[in-house]
Amino acid sequence: MLFDKAIHWARLKSPWIIHFNSGACNACDIEILAALTPKYDVERFGIQLKGSPRHADVLVCSGPVTMQQRERLITIYEQMAEPKFVIAVGTCACSAGVFNGCYCVEGGVDTAIPVNAYVPGCPVKPEAVIDGVVKLLKSIE
Amino acid sequence: MALSLINILIFPGFLFLSTLALAFEYVDRKLCARMQNRVGPPWYQPIADFIKLMSKETVIPTEANPSIFKSIPIFALAATASAFLYIPIWGQRSLYPFDCDLLVVLYFLTVPTLTFFLAGWFSSSLYAEIGSIRAMTQLFAYEVPLYMALLGPALLAGSWSISAITAFYHQNPLLSLLNLPGLCVAIIAAQGKLERAPFDIPDAETEIVGGTFTEYSGRYLGLFRMAVDSEMVALAALISAIFFPALLPANPVLGLLVFLIKVLVVVFILAVIKTAFARFRIDQMVTFCWKILAPVSLLQIVIDIIAKGVILS
Repeated sequence: MLFDKAIHWARLKSPWIIHFNSGACNACDIEILAALTPKYDVERFGIQLKGSPRHADVLVCSGPVTMQQRERLITIYEQMAEPKFVIAVGTCACSAGVFNGCYCVEGGVDTAIPVNAYVPGCPVKPEAVIDGVVKLLKSIE
Repeated sequence: MALSLINILIFPGFLFLSTLALAFEYVDRKLCARMQNRVGPPWYQPIADFIKLMSKETVIPTEANPSIFKSIPIFALAATASAFLYIPIWGQRSLYPFDCDLLVVLYFLTVPTLTFFLAGWFSSSLYAEIGSIRAMTQLFAYEVPLYMALLGPALLAGSWSISAITAFYHQNPLLSLLNLPGLCVAIIAAQGKLERAPFDIPDAETEIVGGTFTEYSGRYLGLFRMAVDSEMVALAALISAIFFPALLPANPVLGLLVFLIKVLVVVFILAVIKTAFARFRIDQMVTFCWKILAPVSLLQIVIDIIAKGVILS
């Protein structure tokens, strides 16, 4: 039981993220990058940005899922190792926003892959991204 | 027999090295964060990362050769752990000193780079292959200056044994001032060997995803990270044993404390370099190593030969 507790604790303390743009206008992406700068210092919570989906635990997704990006998003999600979590960042990622019903848009991120946490905003503030990750960690608890 | 097993597995072998590796990873990351005006990770961060990676699912690509894919991280860790056994960590004498152990340690510390190459090559991913070729190209650039920088002090001491070199400079502490160029070369080359900024070209995350470790996940990635951290400790210990010979108290506890402080100094310098520089291109790195580091290390050898002729005779 101590073993399980240690594993659970370690998962909460070391969420490595990977950032994927599934068709966003770049506003949310810039805010996500701003959240990773020294000013907000997410390494305090053990959050690190990783380049490879194999290394990451949390997929941070921004933007509505376009028909072109859909397969790529699913591939990236499947490449991640279990246990894995998804955060939809921005109104478009939550529900496709103003792009809902557009000829090239499938919908929010949850139409392609299961989503664990939603962070609305257009664009989201860096504080909101960090808050979303913290709430996701609380929900895992 | 039982004592050697304890030496190899617990102290000063595998367990002690792993603890030191995690501790110095924290020190390195915290120093880096403080220099960037950040708070930095909490003290348990490397432990949490390690436990999390150990408990994660391990994905093995279908294209990869499973047995090689799985065994390579263990080779990397085993090589650094064996190298650490021959470095004196308290006083002047290592645990099992023999003639030429400096060369053996250097070869053991080359094995991790070779395993990075093999890991990238056998995971059959394009990014990993680019990373492994870069790791190999870098190896040819920093390895020669590093070996020559360590050869100079050994020539002056007249021995290939680390323990004998440490003992020699302990008797003649002023002579170690002659080795300053070699120390600079060794520290810069160590930065390349550990694949940290400015020489983190093989795992440049903004260019080639995760470099050689792109396909590695879970347990094996954790082992590789542990191998890199323990390689940092082993290299810092080697540099401090050869270039910082002063203050070697006979009391083992005090000696261990002095050893830790010396390693901390080397890790601090490595962290300053990591924070202060951005990544070089691979051609800039190779040019720098061959045009600046190699001549300086040759100069170091010349200085040591002259000193041996003039002072010691």
